[in-house]
Amino acid sequence: MSVAAFCLLGVLLAGYVILDGYDLGMGTLLLFVSRDEDERRATLHSIAPFWNGNETWLVAAGAALFALFPQIYASAFSGFYLPFILVLWLLMGRGIAFEIREMIDHPMWHAFWDVVFAACSALLIVLLGVALGNIVRGVPIDRGLYFLGYFTVLLNPYALGVALLALLALAQHGAAYLLARVDGGPVVERSARALTRLFPLVCAGWVLLSAATVVMRGSSVGLPAFAAAGAAVALVSLAVLRLAAARRAGDTAFRASAAFLVGLLLSAAATTYPYLLPGYPDPRTGLDVFRYAPSPTSLRTALTFTIVGLVLLAVYRTVVAGRLTGRSVSGERP
Amino acid sequence: MENVIADRVQFSFTIMFHYLFPIVTMGLAPMIAGFQLRAARAGDGVADAAARFWTRIFALNFAAGVVTGIPMEFQFGTNWAPFAARAGSIVGQPLAMEAMFAFFGESVFLGAMLYGRGRLSPRMHAFAAVMVWLGAWLSGFFIIVSDAWMQHPVGYAVAGGGTIVLTDIGAVLLSPFAWWQFLHAITGAVVAGGFIVAGVGAFYLLANRDHAVARRFVRTGVVTAFVASLLVVFPTGDRNGANVTAYQPVKLAAMEGLFRSEHGAPLAIIGMPDTQHRRLIDPIEVPDVLSFLAYGNFNASVRGLDDYARADTPPVALTYYAYHVMVGLGTIFVGIAALGVLLLWLKRLEQARWLLWILMLAIPFPSIANEAGWVSAEVGRQPWIVYGLMRTADGASTNVVSGETIFTVAGFAGIYALLILLYVMVVLREVGNGPGAAPETDAPSATRGAEAGA
Repeated sequence: MSVAAFCLLGVLLAGYVILDGYDLGMGTLLLFVSRDEDERRATLHSIAPFWNGNETWLVAAGAALFALFPQIYASAFSGFYLPFILVLWLLMGRGIAFEIREMIDHPMWHAFWDVVFAACSALLIVLLGVALGNIVRGVPIDRGLYFLGYFTVLLNPYALGVALLALLALAQHGAAYLLARVDGGPVVERSARALTRLFPLVCAGWVLLSAATVVMRGSSVGLPAFAAAGAAVALVSLAVLRLAAARRAGDTAFRASAAFLVGLLLSAAATTYPYLLPGYPDPRTGLDVFRYAPSPTSLRTALTFTIVGLVLLAVYRTVVAGRLTGRSVSGERP
Repeated sequence: MENVIADRVQFSFTIMFHYLFPIVTMGLAPMIAGFQLRAARAGDGVADAAARFWTRIFALNFAAGVVTGIPMEFQFGTNWAPFAARAGSIVGQPLAMEAMFAFFGESVFLGAMLYGRGRLSPRMHAFAAVMVWLGAWLSGFFIIVSDAWMQHPVGYAVAGGGTIVLTDIGAVLLSPFAWWQFLHAITGAVVAGGFIVAGVGAFYLLANRDHAVARRFVRTGVVTAFVASLLVVFPTGDRNGANVTAYQPVKLAAMEGLFRSEHGAPLAIIGMPDTQHRRLIDPIEVPDVLSFLAYGNFNASVRGLDDYARADTPPVALTYYAYHVMVGLGTIFVGIAALGVLLLWLKRLEQARWLLWILMLAIPFPSIANEAGWVSAEVGRQPWIVYGLMRTADGASTNVVSGETIFTVAGFAGIYALLILLYVMVVLREVGNGPGAAPETDAPSATRGAEAGA
């Protein structure tokens, strides 16, 4: 039961990272890959019909955590109070910037909101990365099941490392997305170049961070076999990504980048399992999915409607979104 | 400042600001779907222009609703951790369902609505509008199910350690308390939508422009507002009142400003509650009517606030005023909409400039009534966060200090001030551009849609 709930949360979170990940990665790269107004538009419009739906995965994951593991949701969200409120403000800033930039047709207006959009996107990745890093590392939870994550606690070297890798990996993901979705022109050229330049950094970051994780959590990794499998998936995906990027095969590069993110998340999940919020310094003081298990009715309900909801989403998207996925061309206003 | 006060300030501020936008989305969605269906079936050009214009306004509202909605979801955990931990197994379910069934569908079909003109067939395009309508209402339904459960808990058991666990999701989703609350809120939103559409139409007529579309706005808006404003009163308002009377009698007493229990209790039309001396100042009352409305009997006894322990009564003045603002405005809306329908029927509405002025200036008031209704419902629920099961003071996060919350309240206030400024600016610009400004051919109109959404 608890395992199913753990997997369900993993799927929703992975969905968020893969889908909104390319929005955030694209945002991070926006100022570098597109210079003039036509290029900016082509870049931004590549996510226009999708970003809002992508963000919904975060809401779905948060609400599922709320329904399935109320105590863990409560401890984590109150513990990460300021960082999470900052995440909210940045999500708002990103959404406002995206929606408002074309309401007034003036270069200064565009330039301002593009910078807001890029800054919010990059900072969102960093903050969510810090949160993820601290979840893998563990948080100083007390007997009352709560903690308060001051920045001096949260901004530790390991979490910052995770944040940096997240920034690099999602920038790479965004570049692969643009390679797949934008038709020709300088945006594609620069995205391909970004992909080539980011690749060695992502590889180095991944290796260093994996090593750090093994040193830090070595004996307390929950499911070593799955953690290794995640690493293998990540390794293979990186190889495929390299080859696809060299051939400018955007779709393959994007899928490989998504698989790489799945590999990273699988390793992270296998490391913390069965804890959703491990303790620090001893992970066993944390909150796990068995002691804080959902009631059977809760879980049955949530599993049923999540599966129905995701099937419906797939149906909607094949019926509708398939007809909307034209490629984004420089100069075209979709 | 006490933790719980800071947390309540933040929650009430962020939710009241957020709700400004869902009122409009839930209210406009059925009319947009109606325009779109008519355009698809009858090839009605005016309906098509109307659909396009309101879709642009809708998209702005939807975006503002999304960005201000996510903080609501997070705040249960950040500011109300003990409440979330105890009641999450139930309260979290409808929120997750909202994401799965409402948000996912809405995001796909809104994309289709905004970017599909010219790419999708007119029927498919109209279908997307209907799905967006369904999504907007479903979203409201799930949220109200969560709230109604906090007002009147059902389908639960209390487990060891005081945790409240879900036993019957059917009971939670089909709770009559939730359904009447939902129907009351949704018809209230449609009143707002009707007045907005009619009011903008009235503005164009007064400004002597866009006549064909403006007439359609006024007609559709006034008729919609009339039907909805009647439904707000009866049966939805009446049944909602019956549920409050049955399950939350102390809230009823606070809403009505009834301090002493009485046989044949009067209904206070106006008057100011004086909580010091436990009376209404300068009341205008209709004798016996409250007893009748509450229990169907002019002589029935209605319990007053003094019958309850002070610790169990809600803040009286706020509950009372919010309720009276809602009821007073609701009554005025029935009157204005009825006049509008009468003059429409007599074909005199366009000449009645005074009524066009009233319709235009009425635009913000249904939103005020909707917000006031929620204030009376939620402040009247105090001191409980889950009625009868958990007190609000026990629900606030203890590990988050009030200074942090005050800081974040200030942050939200700043961001929302900027947001409302941009929103008003852009909406006024769209209204200024008008429905006629949309080009006739397909390709550029898709661009306009994209601009509204992007």
